[in-house]
Amino acid sequence: MILPAVIYVLYLAFYPAVDAVYQSFHTLHGGLTLYNYDFVNSIFGKSPIYNTFVVTASALALQFAFALILASLLSKPFKGRAAFSALFLIPFGVATIVTGVIFHNIFSTYGGYANSFLRVIGMHPVNWTGSYITSLFVLILADSWKNTPIVTLILLAGMTSISPNLYNQAMVDGAGTFQRFFRITLPNLKGFIAIALMIRGVSEFNIFAMALLLYPYQLLTTMTYALYDTINAHPAYAGGTILLAFVLIFAAIIMTYRGKYGRGY
Amino acid sequence: MGEGIDMGNEFEGHWTRYYIYAGAAFFSFFVLLPLYVLIIIALGAPNQTVAAYYPALLPTKFTLSNFINAFRGTGTLLESAFLKSLETAFIVAVIAILLGYHAAFGLSKLPFKISSLIIGVLFFSTMIPSITIAIPISETFLRLGLYDSSLGLALAQELLVLPLTIFILSGTLDAVPKQLEQQARVDGASFIRALYQVIFPLAVPGIVSAFLLSWLMSWDEFTFAIILSPVHPTLPILIYLDASARGNVLTAASFSLLVTIPVIVLTIILSKFIRAGYLTSGITG
Repeated sequence: MILPAVIYVLYLAFYPAVDAVYQSFHTLHGGLTLYNYDFVNSIFGKSPIYNTFVVTASALALQFAFALILASLLSKPFKGRAAFSALFLIPFGVATIVTGVIFHNIFSTYGGYANSFLRVIGMHPVNWTGSYITSLFVLILADSWKNTPIVTLILLAGMTSISPNLYNQAMVDGAGTFQRFFRITLPNLKGFIAIALMIRGVSEFNIFAMALLLYPYQLLTTMTYALYDTINAHPAYAGGTILLAFVLIFAAIIMTYRGKYGRGY
Repeated sequence: MGEGIDMGNEFEGHWTRYYIYAGAAFFSFFVLLPLYVLIIIALGAPNQTVAAYYPALLPTKFTLSNFINAFRGTGTLLESAFLKSLETAFIVAVIAILLGYHAAFGLSKLPFKISSLIIGVLFFSTMIPSITIAIPISETFLRLGLYDSSLGLALAQELLVLPLTIFILSGTLDAVPKQLEQQARVDGASFIRALYQVIFPLAVPGIVSAFLLSWLMSWDEFTFAIILSPVHPTLPILIYLDASARGNVLTAASFSLLVTIPVIVLTIILSKFIRAGYLTSGITG
């Protein structure tokens, strides 16, 4: 009974992945070659790799910072928590491309709402798409708006699994809010942080739709898409293989981290 | 959780409460702000929104003409994209439940070591970048005649949805008492009857949330859609084309609002069902 699902996944996910790697070392005429990689390198250089790392790291940092605060809020009882916990999930349901369109309108250099707001409070408008730092900021802000809820849900599950007795004990011993957070909450969350890092990190490497709309520089995904061509897909196979390699390395690192520290929950 | 945390409040006093409300207000504001921008662009008069160098933060003139123009301009395109998205999402959700329910049932019967190995393989498959496999799949589909069809797109999107569905349904089936099935068999029910008439009704809450989640993921999916179905696009691709290549920002905003409203309603319904355990069970299991 499990076989149909497993065969399905193996046939449609693993087979094409292996095929892409295999094809990336071949040309249209079938000879074994590194030409595809040279071709990709000559057009795009190393910058897509660098950009992908920068985007992944900064988006993860922002999402985890927000999610930790949100999860701590939601782990405490307060009036209106039910309404708030429905509200904070809304971005999870908003389509990725819709989020991209909205942030595109907020941060366009001409006719954007961010610049409108800056003018109202008497500051100079910013050319958001003009520099590396500002376009990175816009991309990770949009991405975090959409994806913080999922990180929050995972961390919240971790926080509710920590025994309240630990906190009470610490308070009796005179530990302050920050001390309790760094000494109790964070160490006990390690396993859940690893899971959230895994889920979000892998998707962050694959950030695509938003980057097409908001980010004028090349990432590994947008590079692969730019190379894609139904006549000769071999350079695109090379792009896809590079992306796959980085995702697998990232996953292996997180798995090792989890194996080391993530036990005991 | 109640007792311990109530005690905590006695220690912490009302200052903590102020921080909580300030934090909740802060995050609510930032969750709602982008949605507010979408609504005023879709419903505001263009000279106060997209046509203005500095758009009004609080527009005063509202109109439905953006919507009317959006439908008039690309009416048939919108209709076919909407139907395609709807059709694809339903195929994805139905296949996910069909394959997922049986797989989850099978997994619940296997020894823990084997079932966690299978779940590991399924989880691993979700890490393979969509764009890497979309390209070889597009070549295969071109040969099979599945390129640009709803069925082909649904078969590819199924890959993202199926592992998650199996995690959710395994969690649901684990909660169904094992004796119930044995009891049914003892009472003379066949295996098939036990599977569909005894256990299935008890798993309905999990099945409903898995169905809705699969539906939502397909409705939102972009990468497979743009590579496997570029000629007759789904809604997200249509929105992307309007927002970028065609430059119809107003059309894109109107369509975006149309796509978003039903999905927000679904998300709020789902928020009662979604447990982080669904997402993490694949790795903790």
